[in-house]
Amino acid sequence: MATSSVYTPAGFNFSNQIRNTFLQERGVPLPKATSTGTTIVGCLFKDGVVLGADTRATEGDIVADKNCEKIHYITDSIRCCGAGTAADTEFTTALISSNMELHGLSTGRKPQVVTAMTMLKQMLFRYQGHVGAALVLGGVDATGPQLFTIHPHGSTDKLPYVTMGSGSLAAMAVFESGWQPNMTRDDALNLVKAAVAAGIFNDLGSGSNIDACIITATHTEMLRNVETPNERVQKERRYVFRRGTTAWKTESVRKLIVNEETTIIGGDAMDTS
Amino acid sequence: MSIMELNGGSVIAMVGKDCVAIASDLRLGNQALGLSSNFQRIFPVTDRIYVGLPGLGTDVHTLWEKFRFRVNMYTIKEEREIEPETFAHLVSSTLYEHRFGPYFIEPVIAGLAKTPSGGVKPFIAATDLIGCLNFAKDFVVAGTASSKLFGMAEGLWEPDLEPEDLFETISQALMNAVDRDAYSGWGCVVHVITKDKIVTRTLKGRMD
Amino acid sequence: METSFAITGKGYVLVAADTTAARSIVKMKTDEDKIKILSPHLLMAYSGEPGDTIQFSEYVERNIRLYQIRNTLTLGPSAAASWIRRSLADSIRSRRPYAVNLLVGGYDTSSHTPELYWIDYLGTLTKIPFGAHGYGSYFALSLLDRYHDPEASLEEGIATLKRCLDEVAKRLVVSPGKYLVKVVDKDGVREIEI
Repeated sequence: MATSSVYTPAGFNFSNQIRNTFLQERGVPLPKATSTGTTIVGCLFKDGVVLGADTRATEGDIVADKNCEKIHYITDSIRCCGAGTAADTEFTTALISSNMELHGLSTGRKPQVVTAMTMLKQMLFRYQGHVGAALVLGGVDATGPQLFTIHPHGSTDKLPYVTMGSGSLAAMAVFESGWQPNMTRDDALNLVKAAVAAGIFNDLGSGSNIDACIITATHTEMLRNVETPNERVQKERRYVFRRGTTAWKTESVRKLIVNEETTIIGGDAMDTS
Repeated sequence: MSIMELNGGSVIAMVGKDCVAIASDLRLGNQALGLSSNFQRIFPVTDRIYVGLPGLGTDVHTLWEKFRFRVNMYTIKEEREIEPETFAHLVSSTLYEHRFGPYFIEPVIAGLAKTPSGGVKPFIAATDLIGCLNFAKDFVVAGTASSKLFGMAEGLWEPDLEPEDLFETISQALMNAVDRDAYSGWGCVVHVITKDKIVTRTLKGRMD
Repeated sequence: METSFAITGKGYVLVAADTTAARSIVKMKTDEDKIKILSPHLLMAYSGEPGDTIQFSEYVERNIRLYQIRNTLTLGPSAAASWIRRSLADSIRSRRPYAVNLLVGGYDTSSHTPELYWIDYLGTLTKIPFGAHGYGSYFALSLLDRYHDPEASLEEGIATLKRCLDEVAKRLVVSPGKYLVKVVDKDGVREIEI
């Protein structure tokens, strides 16, 4: 029986598949996974690329996480924004990041953005859209600043400004009216912030704060929560319950050893002379 | 009816001042029919880590057996206890391994991490059924009453609660949420984890 | 319709199962024993898909016997229930799963406590003071909520069990006619007349 094996093979495990289809045939729908409704954007400027993202994660109509991180690390000078099924974006980017590191070590060169893009699209195409990751990949390499979008089925685009996720329309509207070639770093950052803000305020799947990442040939700057337009106000009253409010039936206390002291009883110190 | 509602159940975890609390209801049902009022879905992983596994009853045991096995293997290989954050990633990757054909469980993790200075740092996390981690600084919820628990916790939680106050806050949040959920309830259990001890209490509440 | 009950009391577990073997709308047999004795202090009431129940219960019986031969020790009720649960959880992941629901009752000879476990075909396991499977559970569980006493003597336990059987006979449209009742306590397993 597979369960008694100590070795865990790599890759996906389909052992629950039969049971889950059986349950589904009984008329029970599969529960939803966390998805990032999301506004993610990227834009090229004079000497680099700026990526932007909101920080809301949703589970159906519930906001599951109000401040999640959607800009994932690939290499020092490559980052990737993820939209779609949250777990898929998380694990796909982590896998590619790890393969990029190995690739860099084996070639002895800084890997290019196209390499990451190719790895991602080949993986997503292999899974035929079942790995639901929609990505914005940006970075700077020997060939200059690069910006790509990768769709869940594995198709890619190479454009000077891109948006993805449910807030992509709102964000793209901002880019279409404000983007210019060869922008300065500050202009580009402001445009990205405005694009993500458009998603946050006009798309229900996006919300909370703005994360941004500025990548240039020499430096990568991750601006976590660069803008927090939806700060929660201080509660006006406290809602602490008086101790003893909750009636309980049984109590058991598990004491833990916090520190140990060793006392040597009797005997002389060992003769080491 | 969703698979999550087959057996019912909810879990919540909260951060306090140098302490964490994790609590759950005790109902196991077959849809509307209640079967057990003492179904434990929170398990101790190490002395300072607890995991709550709300969801399909059969997977509660199957997954816990898997986690126990993997944590034991980790402890043997590394010759040390697993840290909460490492355990959260273990949970996450175990669930993502079953990305296609998942376990119907949304785990909640609560524990105290060791700091280099010898102190402890509260840690909580939750994942969805395919292992997307959610590290929260305040509280995490899961299960059939999750929407109600979100509301309760959002209103009642505040930073730096002492263990005794955290017990009141988490208990009230849980009890009032499960009272508004048909699939959760039938008794509650609360674990408050502090540096030197773990206090486990079963609550007196509605049994309907 | 198939129904089984079990209740714990002071030092014993009482298990009752109906004795009908039905196929479609026809009663094929009315003296079927659906409570398997797994070991000297362990028994299991099974219900579900006709072929599966026999096959699975014999598989469990033989494996528990095998464990006893290999290790000289007998599996306790909780260990046996865990193993049975795991077998069902593995089975539901196979192409032809067993559709079997169980009530496992036993007397733990080391801690001297009666234990009862509720297991369904998905591999859901829970330890309970009383339980039931089948349509009878809808009547019996509410009744047992009111009348069950974990400290009841065997006579009182039998009286409570009779209430359940009577209630099911009275209210369930397709109620079974006859039941077989077995008890497990410190002296082992035996059948009792009711």
